[in-house]
Amino acid sequence: MSERGRPNKKTKHDDQKMKKIQNEEALYSDDDTGDHDGIYFEGEGGAVEETDFSKLELKADHANRPLWACGGGRIFLETFSPLYKQASDFLIAIAEPVCRPESMHEYNLTPHSLYAAVSVGLETEAIISVLNKLSKTKLPEDMISFIYASTANYGKVKLVLKKNRYFIESPFPEVLKKLLQDGVINGARFSSEPYCGADGFTVGKTSGELEAGHGELLNEAESAAAAEEKETHSFEIDPAQVENVKQRCLSKDLNYPMLEEYDFRNDNVNPDLDMELKPHAQPRPYQEKSLSKMFGNGRARSGIIVLPCGAGKSLVGVSAAARIKKSCLCLATNAVSVDQWAFQFKLWSTIRDDQICRFTSDSKEAFRGNAVVVVTTYNMIAFGGKRSEESEKIIEEIRNREWGLLLMDEVHVVPANMFRKVISITKSHCKLGLTATLVREDEKITDLNFLIGPKLYEANWLDLVRGGFIANVQCAEVWCPMTKEFFAKYLQKDNSKKKQALYVMNPNKFRACEFLIRFHEEQRGDKIIVFADNLFALTEYAMKLRKPMFYGATSHVERTKILEAFKTSKNLNTIFLSKVGDNSIDIPEANVIIQISSHAGSRRQEAQRLGRILRAKGKLEDRMAGGKEEYNAFFYSLVSTDTQEMYYSTKRQQFLIDQGYSFKVITSLPPPDAGSSLSYSTQQEQLSLLTKVLNAGDDLVGLEQLEEDTDGMALQNDRRSKRSMSAMSGADGNVYKEYNSGRHKSSAQQSKKPKHPIFKTRFVS
Amino acid sequence: MVNAIKGVFISCDIPMAQFIVNMNNGLAPSQRFIIHVLDTTHLFVQPQVEQMIRAAIAEFRDQNSYEKPT
Repeated sequence: MSERGRPNKKTKHDDQKMKKIQNEEALYSDDDTGDHDGIYFEGEGGAVEETDFSKLELKADHANRPLWACGGGRIFLETFSPLYKQASDFLIAIAEPVCRPESMHEYNLTPHSLYAAVSVGLETEAIISVLNKLSKTKLPEDMISFIYASTANYGKVKLVLKKNRYFIESPFPEVLKKLLQDGVINGARFSSEPYCGADGFTVGKTSGELEAGHGELLNEAESAAAAEEKETHSFEIDPAQVENVKQRCLSKDLNYPMLEEYDFRNDNVNPDLDMELKPHAQPRPYQEKSLSKMFGNGRARSGIIVLPCGAGKSLVGVSAAARIKKSCLCLATNAVSVDQWAFQFKLWSTIRDDQICRFTSDSKEAFRGNAVVVVTTYNMIAFGGKRSEESEKIIEEIRNREWGLLLMDEVHVVPANMFRKVISITKSHCKLGLTATLVREDEKITDLNFLIGPKLYEANWLDLVRGGFIANVQCAEVWCPMTKEFFAKYLQKDNSKKKQALYVMNPNKFRACEFLIRFHEEQRGDKIIVFADNLFALTEYAMKLRKPMFYGATSHVERTKILEAFKTSKNLNTIFLSKVGDNSIDIPEANVIIQISSHAGSRRQEAQRLGRILRAKGKLEDRMAGGKEEYNAFFYSLVSTDTQEMYYSTKRQQFLIDQGYSFKVITSLPPPDAGSSLSYSTQQEQLSLLTKVLNAGDDLVGLEQLEEDTDGMALQNDRRSKRSMSAMSGADGNVYKEYNSGRHKSSAQQSKKPKHPIFKTRFVS
Repeated sequence: MVNAIKGVFISCDIPMAQFIVNMNNGLAPSQRFIIHVLDTTHLFVQPQVEQMIRAAIAEFRDQNSYEKPT
C-alpha cells in the first residue's frame, strides 16, 4: 500500500506542475514562482552576449539625459524624461522606430534613416554631437563610424528629370566615373545620345571622354569647385532602369545614394496649377511636421509618410499637392477611394471642378487644361491588356506628361511589380507615398526605399491618442476554450482542412461574440463591426444572430444600402464584414470591432482593422488624457485557445504592440451565469453545429480570396495570376502552378520544347 | 478481490484531456496507455508514459505559440 501511496503523491505534485505549465500560456501569469524565474534566466543566457552593454561608459550627469545609445545602432529613449519631446523629434529624423511602448522606445539607426536625415538638412557632425549630448553613455565607436560612413557620400549624386528624360547628375565627374564602372549603371546608360547642356550646365562627358581624360577632369572638377561655379556633369539613363540604378547606388553596393529633389518653385517648364488650401484646412501639428520633412529646404523630396488610419492622411496629400502647385497624379487602391480622394481634394483646396478628373473603369473624365489633378487606381495605370480607345488616349496623356507630384495612397498594399510598372509609365519629379502600416508579410517593404524614397516621417500612435487626434482604443484578446467535441475533431488528422472552420465555429467563441454584441448594443449603444475572414463562419454567425453582412461578392448597391442603414438607423447597430472591409471603407460611426476569424498571421490586417475605429469620436475634451471616457473604442479579437489561432493571434498583434498598444487578455467570456440566454447552450445544439461544420464542403470553409489581396497570398505562398485561364476557372491548383513556374526542372523543360508558336500567346500571354 | 493497478492520475482541462485521448487513439492497440477516462478532465494512464505525454503537450503548445524573431 505504501508503494501505491508514494507515486500517487508524486503524481499529484506533478499534476499541479502540469496545471502550472498550462497557466504559463497566460503570457504574463502572475503566479510565477522563484524557480520559474530561474529557468527563464538560464534560457536567456545565450542572448546576453549580444545585449550586454555593461561596457558602455556612463556619463556623470546621465540622469539628465534621455537616451541610451548602444552598439549595433540601437538607441533607447526614456519617454518620461523631460527632454522626451525634443529627443523624439530628433530621433525620428535620424533613426527608424522599432518599438514604441509607453515608457521606453527603441530606435534603430539604418543607412536609409540617415539618408533621410541628411536630406532634411542635418549634417553629419550635428547628428553626432546632438546624439552625444542626449546620450547617457559615451557614443560607441562603431555608431560614430557608421554615421560617418552612411552620410559621407550622400547628395553627391542627383537623379533629375528633365523634359521627360532621366539624368544622373553630379558636380564630381570622378563620382560619375565610379558609378559607370558598375555594370548595371553602365548598362542602363543611354550611351548613344550624349546629352549636351542646354540650360547653362557644362555637361555631356561621355564615358569615353571620362575614361580618356581622367586626370584632366579631376583638375577641372577641383577648379570648378574652387570657383564655385555651378558645373554639373551628367549622363542620361534608361527610364526603365531607374529603379535598378537607384538600388545599385545604395550603401550595400556603391554607397552613393542618390538625391531626388524637385525644385518646384524654379520650374518654369511645367505649367502651374492654380490651387490653394482653403482657410479651414488647418493641418494638425503632426501633419505640419510631416510636411516640413518633405519640403525642408524649399524643395520637394520623395519619400513615405506614415500616419495611422484616421489621422488625416488625405489632408497631408492635398497639402503637398497644393504646395507644389503642378500637375498631380494621385493613385488609390480602388474606385471607392478614388471618389474619396477626389472629394478630399475639393474639400480641402480651392481646386476647380474642371481641374480635377477621375480615371477609373467607370468614369473616364478627359483632361482639360495644362495642369490637372488626376485621381486613378494603380490597376488602371498598370493594366497590361488591351484598353478601350478612350482610356488608351488618357493613358497616353498620362505617359507623356511630366508630373509634379505622384501621390500614392496605401503604398504598402501595392505589389512591387505593379509599382515598377506604374513608375516606369509615369514620369514624376517627386513621389509621395502615404500609408498607415509599413509592414508586409513578404518582406518587400525595403523595396519601397528605392522605389519611392526614404521614410520621411512616422507618427507615434500613442502621442496622437494622447493628443486626442485618434480614438483611444482598448484592445482585448478574448480567450475561448474549445469545447470537448470540437477539439476532438480538431485534433483528428483527417480534418486538417477543416481546422480553421472548427476553431472559428467553436460554440464558446460564438457565445462570447453574442455576449459582446449584446453588451455593447444594449449597455453602451455602440456601433459594432464583426470581421470574419472565413465565409462559412461569416454566414453562420450573421444568420444565427440575424444581422446583415456583406463580403466580396455582394453587389455595390447592396453594400451601399447596408452601410447607409448602419450609419443612420438606430435599429441596425451591428454588421458582419468579410475582409473586404479591411481597407479604405470609411465607417466613422463604428467604435467596436469584434474579430472572429482572421487571415493567418497578417500584422497589416490587424492594424488596418483597428484603423476602422481609430477616427476620433466624441468631444475633444472627453478624449484628452483625464477626460470623461478613458476608452471610447474597443477592439476584440476572439481566439480559440489551444489551437493554431493562438499562434496567429500573437503574431498579428506584433505591429500594434510595436506601436505601443497592449492587449488585455479576457478569459471569462461569456460569464458563467449567461447560460441559456445565449445560443448553443445545450450540448445537443453544439453537436448539430459540429455536424454542420463537418458536412460543409472544403471550398465553403476555406478563405475568401480577393484579387487585390497580395499580402495574404504571400502568407499562403499561393499566388493568383490574373492572366492564366485556369485561375479564371478556379482550377488553379498548386500542382499546376509548380509546373508553370518551372520548379520541377524536368517538366519545365518538357513544357518548353513542344510548345507551338500558335499556343504561345495562350500560355505565356 | 480488489485489483490494484499502478498508474498516473492526470487532471487537466477539457481540451488537453481530448489531446491525450487523441494521442492514445493514434497508437496501435497494444501500445495504448489510457487505463481509464474518469471524466472530461481526469484520466488514469500507465505510469511509464508520463514523460511522453509531457513532451507531446509541450510540443503541441510550442506549435501554437508565436515567438517574435529577434
